[in-house]
Amino acid sequence: MRIRIRKKYLFYALVMGSAVLGAVTASLDSIISQDHIPNSWVFGSAAMLVGIVVTFAIALLLSLPLGAKNLGSRIDPSFRRLRLPRREEVPYHLLAGIGNAVTTLGYFYVVSVFVDPSSVLPFFQVVILYLLVVESLSEKDAPTLAEVESSIVVTFGAILASISLTGSFNVEVLLVIFVVMNPGWVLLAIYQRKLKLMRIDGGYNDAINIRVWNVVFTALFLVLAVFVYNPRYFSDSLQASVEVFWWLALTMAVTFFAYILYIRGLGIGKASITQAVKASTILFGIPLSLALADYLDYSFSATPTLLAIKLMGIVLVVLGVSSFALTEVKAYVFINAKGGYAMRDLMQQVWRIRGVTSVSVLAGKYDMMAKIRIRTLGKGYEKVIRKLEDIEGISEFNWQSILKEWEDI
Amino acid sequence: MIKAYIMILVYVGKLAEVLNKLRTIEHIESIAVTAGDYDLIVKVSVDSLETLMEVTDQIQMVGNIKRTTTTVIEKEISV
Repeated sequence: MRIRIRKKYLFYALVMGSAVLGAVTASLDSIISQDHIPNSWVFGSAAMLVGIVVTFAIALLLSLPLGAKNLGSRIDPSFRRLRLPRREEVPYHLLAGIGNAVTTLGYFYVVSVFVDPSSVLPFFQVVILYLLVVESLSEKDAPTLAEVESSIVVTFGAILASISLTGSFNVEVLLVIFVVMNPGWVLLAIYQRKLKLMRIDGGYNDAINIRVWNVVFTALFLVLAVFVYNPRYFSDSLQASVEVFWWLALTMAVTFFAYILYIRGLGIGKASITQAVKASTILFGIPLSLALADYLDYSFSATPTLLAIKLMGIVLVVLGVSSFALTEVKAYVFINAKGGYAMRDLMQQVWRIRGVTSVSVLAGKYDMMAKIRIRTLGKGYEKVIRKLEDIEGISEFNWQSILKEWEDI
Repeated sequence: MIKAYIMILVYVGKLAEVLNKLRTIEHIESIAVTAGDYDLIVKVSVDSLETLMEVTDQIQMVGNIKRTTTTVIEKEISV
């Protein structure tokens, strides 16, 4: 029997799960970086090389039949089998791969400049605001004021919760974060979302194939960049990928599942909100950092000022994420059309209304049904009802607020 | 693939009971509790009209359902 749960819970379960796995990956990376591969360029390149092997191995394992379906469909119901990317997917994979490679290279640069980059890397969280701007430019995904407010709260909270007062501050490195890393991540998030929402063989695209091909394209660009930057690093990374294979395989395997959950989350929520919820990885990282403190010989600064700042940051992240979860209004609107108006045109006019997530042309009592997702009921009047009233071909409509909803996962 | 919405009216006080039974029926994509003309809106995805009839039959047999209205989706756009 399939599990039917509320879509909202599924979204938060997926993205929070990804955040937990992201925190585990960060801890594993710390161990590998400290004990095995101190050079971040070599580490990144070796991780991607091992990542291709591990990712394909997991994807093949997930393709094995299990009853009527396969193991992978338990993780993403849209997954059928490992397959080559379709022609229409390739441009998106290329852009997502470039985005991921650019972000990773930017990260290596920051890490190579600073021994302790923890005073500047938290500004990577500003990517949430970049995603809000990109979504504002696309009419369909335009964020509401409540979403903008919550996103800003989460971004500032994440910066405060993860910032260090002891590390140094460098304008050039901040520029790399704002001009290279954040735009790179925007490319990755936006195009992975587009890939997830793409229809393949009548169903939604699956997160497993998306991740597999993202690793391939990212590795291609990244390894090429490392080779051009310093060919010696490339040969070192080949050596490291053999010597430290099992550590790298472990971190890339955890990363694989973190991305699968993240991509599935992107298929349900907006990229900015998915990213904001994923910022909770900062909270999950705290117990892991404490657990690894002895092993990695960390020195935690426990000044009251720093602790107060971090606590404020954590409170802001929790408040921001809760506010996303608690402010959502969904509704069905039944629509009847006047005679003499083509349904195809009316459907497009309804689809263009902000907040409409689906439009169905029906056979029966009603001519059309629109599903609405907005942040407040007030917006439902301003953004939806008034727009519907302006459509000439609609004779009447009937609003049905959704109080609770369960969907197949 | 045939998709349809089934709008359901339930007898007062029986919503939770009906809802729990509906959640066990196959081919149901989503179940929404709504405020308005209907109590529940169920989205169904089936291979044939024959299966759609079987699903609507199963829904009718749940008990405490006052009325169902089934509308087949001819075309759909969604995010």
